Amino acid sequence: MGKDSQARHQYSLGAIVQLGFRCWPYYRPQVPHLLIFVLLNTLIGGMILGGMVLANDVVDNKILLGERLEPLQARALFLDADYVTSGAEDEPPLSKDQRRQVRLGVLVLGALYMILLTASVALVWYYMVWIFQRINQQLRVEMLARAERLSLSHHSQSRTGDAIYRVYQDSATITNVLQFMLLTPLRILAWFAFGMVVIVLFSPWLFLFMVAAGVPIYCLMRHYMPKIRLAARESREANSELTSRIQETLAAIRVIKASGAEDHMMQQFGLESQQALDAAYRVRYYFVLLSVGVTLVGVSALLVAEYLMATWALSERATYMGAAIALVGFAVWNLGAFKAATGRGLELTKQAREFAGTWAIVQDLVVGLERAFYLLDLEPEVNEPEHPKAFPSPIQRVDFDAVHFSYQSQQKVLAGVSLGAEVGTITAIVGSTGAGKSTLVSLLLRLAEPEQGRVTINGEDIREMATEDLRGGVSIALQQNILFAMSVADNIRYGQKDTDQQKIQAAARIACADEFIQDMPEGYDTELGERGGKLSTGQRQRLSIARAVLRDTPILILDEPTASLDAMTEQAVMRNLAEWGRGRVVFIITHRLSTIRRADQIAFLEDGVIRELGDHQSLMAQQGAYSRFVEAETGEAR
Amino acid sequence: MSKTARFDDRVDTDPELSSGETLALLMRSLKFIGRVRVLFFYKVLFASVAILPPLILPWILKIIVDQVILQQPFQLEEVPFPPFMMPFIHLIMDMSPTGIMLSTTLLSFALLFIFGLRASGQFADLPQGHDAATQSEQAISSGSSEASGLWGTIEVLLTVRMTQRLANSLRTTLMGRLSRLEMTTLDDQRIGDSVYRVMYDAPMLPDICYKLTIAPLLLLISSALAVYIMQYSYGRVTPEIVWVATCLIPVTLLLTLPLSRIARRLHQTSRAAGAASVNSMEEGMDNIAAVQALGAMQKETERFNTKSEEAFRRHRHTVLLDAAITVIAYATITCGGVLAFILITDEVIEGVLTPGDYTAMIGILMTLMYAARSIGLYWIELQKNVAAVRRVFFFIDFTSELDRAQTPITVPQRGVYFDQVSFSYPDGRQALENVNLELPVGELVAVVGPTGAGKTTLAYMLPGYLRPSSGQIRFDDQDLSQAAVADIRDQVTYVFQEHMLLTGTIRDNLLLAKPDASEADMLEACRVAGALEFIEALPAGLDAPLGKGGNTLSVGQKQRLSIARGIVRDTPILVMDEPTAALDPRTENALVEALRETTRNRLVVVIAHRLSTIREADRIIFLDNGQVADVGDHESLMARADSLYRRYVELQAS
Repeated sequence: MGKDSQARHQYSLGAIVQLGFRCWPYYRPQVPHLLIFVLLNTLIGGMILGGMVLANDVVDNKILLGERLEPLQARALFLDADYVTSGAEDEPPLSKDQRRQVRLGVLVLGALYMILLTASVALVWYYMVWIFQRINQQLRVEMLARAERLSLSHHSQSRTGDAIYRVYQDSATITNVLQFMLLTPLRILAWFAFGMVVIVLFSPWLFLFMVAAGVPIYCLMRHYMPKIRLAARESREANSELTSRIQETLAAIRVIKASGAEDHMMQQFGLESQQALDAAYRVRYYFVLLSVGVTLVGVSALLVAEYLMATWALSERATYMGAAIALVGFAVWNLGAFKAATGRGLELTKQAREFAGTWAIVQDLVVGLERAFYLLDLEPEVNEPEHPKAFPSPIQRVDFDAVHFSYQSQQKVLAGVSLGAEVGTITAIVGSTGAGKSTLVSLLLRLAEPEQGRVTINGEDIREMATEDLRGGVSIALQQNILFAMSVADNIRYGQKDTDQQKIQAAARIACADEFIQDMPEGYDTELGERGGKLSTGQRQRLSIARAVLRDTPILILDEPTASLDAMTEQAVMRNLAEWGRGRVVFIITHRLSTIRRADQIAFLEDGVIRELGDHQSLMAQQGAYSRFVEAETGEAR
Repeated sequence: MSKTARFDDRVDTDPELSSGETLALLMRSLKFIGRVRVLFFYKVLFASVAILPPLILPWILKIIVDQVILQQPFQLEEVPFPPFMMPFIHLIMDMSPTGIMLSTTLLSFALLFIFGLRASGQFADLPQGHDAATQSEQAISSGSSEASGLWGTIEVLLTVRMTQRLANSLRTTLMGRLSRLEMTTLDDQRIGDSVYRVMYDAPMLPDICYKLTIAPLLLLISSALAVYIMQYSYGRVTPEIVWVATCLIPVTLLLTLPLSRIARRLHQTSRAAGAASVNSMEEGMDNIAAVQALGAMQKETERFNTKSEEAFRRHRHTVLLDAAITVIAYATITCGGVLAFILITDEVIEGVLTPGDYTAMIGILMTLMYAARSIGLYWIELQKNVAAVRRVFFFIDFTSELDRAQTPITVPQRGVYFDQVSFSYPDGRQALENVNLELPVGELVAVVGPTGAGKTTLAYMLPGYLRPSSGQIRFDDQDLSQAAVADIRDQVTYVFQEHMLLTGTIRDNLLLAKPDASEADMLEACRVAGALEFIEALPAGLDAPLGKGGNTLSVGQKQRLSIARGIVRDTPILVMDEPTAALDPRTENALVEALRETTRNRLVVVIAHRLSTIREADRIIFLDNGQVADVGDHESLMARADSLYRRYVELQAS
């Protein structure tokens, strides 16, 4: 499910340029480094070119032929005046020993030159990797930060593997934007212009012929580009699905084992793996066909041109303005003119091929970039107020004010719930499975937004507070006890900055978790398994409670905190919490009667509204829904 | 250990790898070629032939210059054409220059369309990122050819397919093994790390196969050809040159050998750091509700930032090593070049060779030296990918459920028996001690006890998730330790305390448990589990799509669906771990009633805290501290004044 339904399969040049520009904020911080990198590269290029020019002359003419040296050459090789040319026509060549001496100098300098050159090439390469990694890192982190702030309803519709694929594979395309969308095309254009000018000077007809060869190349590109784009998108989507498949399989491995579904799962994995490979193959298939096609057209044109030029050379036909290139040498078609023109022609076909390749690569880059930016473009459903109000302190009361809520495409979960809770009280929220209890409290954390109505603290709408402050003031022990593969202590202090061991231990005591933690091999430093495996559910529940307690917030929500605890532990935990909860607002969602009875008020939720509200005695006296619920719970247990 | 713990790998923590192990891993990788035999054969064939056409090119150009433009006659004695050119020469020998040009152009066209002559080779590689993970994407579909045209197209495409098949066969094997690891191992194995191994480590196999076989073969062929042609046409390849080039192989090898251990370690840690960053992201994304509820978004972002930065940094270390190797490689080439330069120039100075010979010989020397250097660098180059395949083979070799005995077992008729069963977790915690139990078919058995008493551990023994450290569990008379895992799981269904649903529709989730379940089976199971009501309220019913992990449902609904999934499987043994914790009493009572009806010819084991559930059981097993404290039905246990069970019930009812 690559969910970006607005995915385009057509990109205008403008859209591509626009995507390129979106990368600028990530390149901008690295601009000084990029400039230094370009400078270093130019220096190295100069070094290579200069070295070649110098070495060629000294080796070919001086050592091999024995010509005398230029004064500068002699000085560079630390040789005296005996070696220097006088400029006379008939001067004697260098002696054999002198030639060996020149050779020694060349070898020493050459060795130094090679050491310097390879070392700097290697280091500049490392520097380049560093720069591009920094660009990629910035994008990755921004993508993840955004993904973490997206609403839960988005997350419930999208897959973890897809996010992983976008953050890793799609984001990596940004490191190639500079090269393939700017530098390479510029270089190709420059070579093109140069080659075309030379050919025009030799023969305008040849020029027209080469331009004509551009027509089929253009047609080939037009034909293959949409195919490559589509294949690139399919490939990225298929690989993202495969990543999700692996991640989901392993996250649910117990169920797969329990259902004996390993073979079924492997079949599906094999299928999706093959689909991903097929999609990747298709991209390369079109890529190769295009590249070969352009090559065939280009080289065919070259061969025809060669034939024409050879016949022109045979008839010694005059060139158009060949003399402009090499004074008089190329005024007529001869060997030199043939070679010069053929050289440019070969260069042009190479550039045409590279241009086609680059353009094809850009299609893949654009698809990858768009998938990466897609994540950044998603707006969190929870919108931050521009001038957030402070979280009220001290807290007096929390109110749900006629809130409505429904999940996408499903029936209404909450249909006008109003509920108030004062500081120092415990409110139990009771109701049948699926009545909307968890949804109701999640509104208080702005994990979801009510469609109508509002949630207030001390009468102030929570939408006017910063989400971060709000969540800093509300703790929740979730129904699903989510633990992370960290140490016990890190799990309890999760989401908190600095917390000392004593506070952690105190929180664990309130949750009746201290005892079993101490029994573990390394106590609070024991590493938990993946997703907190290795602990029983009851133990995990108590760690979740300790985590919520440690945050020490004025509002506490416990969602089925004690469902898996035995009666004795449960009562101990509840006693501790009741004491700890003085001066706070506590909400508890539970089915347990012993817990419910302790509550100051009980809200019975049914069909999206609060049917009954009051304490245990008064509700029992009503003989309504609540008392029927209690009877179901206790009726046979007595 | 302390050094590797940073990568939060719990199972595979040792990045060291000896040269012997490396060699063994390389040989093992080579065996995978057997799985792509046919493609491999064609690849060798195509690649070997693709080297040849470029040899013709210089001679064609020579004919155009000498015989066409300069209009000279053929002089076969002075510089003899190589034998493969002779048929063509004989054909055009007596033609006019225009005729020769026409023939040559036609030959060029033919060679262009077949081999792409005059164009360089063809490749199919797209650009990649700057860390190991993003480079794997390319590695799994890599392919190239020395030729272009029809020949090159076919070769590139079949290479891509071969690469893909090699990698796919490895990653499928790995995935199969990972999913069958023992439960105790899976508790420790990070999901992100597994994703990394399957997606990013496995694709490195083809490169090893290629580097060990085709690449050196091609280098040798092209070097031999270069020497042969020089010898034939100029008769002037001094043996010294060949020796100098050959000597580069051991020299490069020896110089880079000390780096190979470092190379392995750097690449191992680079990959481990990459996996750690995926771990961090995967964990945060998959538990996003907790992250947001606890206001930990900032912290999670920072965590990922650190891990990702670390992964990039570790990758840069490998780049630095590559840089060092490049310097060494160029240094050896330079030294070889210097030696040959002295040898050749000496002869030029002495007048034995001409300057023209110098140019020709330096050219061929360079070809030979690059070939020699590449072969010398193979060992060190191989280390990179050995690091990756080691990570793959590690889990292929790791003890899995498939390594257990494979005796088939039959449906238990009488019951399940625990005989002196004890269990300790790998970290030493003892969870069960000397448990003796009889669980007869036809009963509803409740396992009761305080939190942490070992109830889940006991229940995990039934489907063989855990195996006794000592003692024996039997289905009738069949020892479970000898039984095939698949057989055991066919007999036992386990419904988990924490419900796990898969992304997909409700139907997908039910069919996962029983692929051939009928519509009626599914609806009946949903009815028993109390899930029918809410499913019918959904617009798409059974085909309603569930979000990630079933997150579009409430916890209670997920639980009921999980129970329905357990029931639809219809196995002789059904284990339910606190099935009703998130259910309201009415739903729960209905479920227990329904379960009672189904126990006639099966064994239902329920772990429960609720008295209403426990009371319904035929047999109650009270566990305390890993030991069986009481066994009996509710009445008989309540009748005993000293029973722990009675105290437990009284506390709960108070």
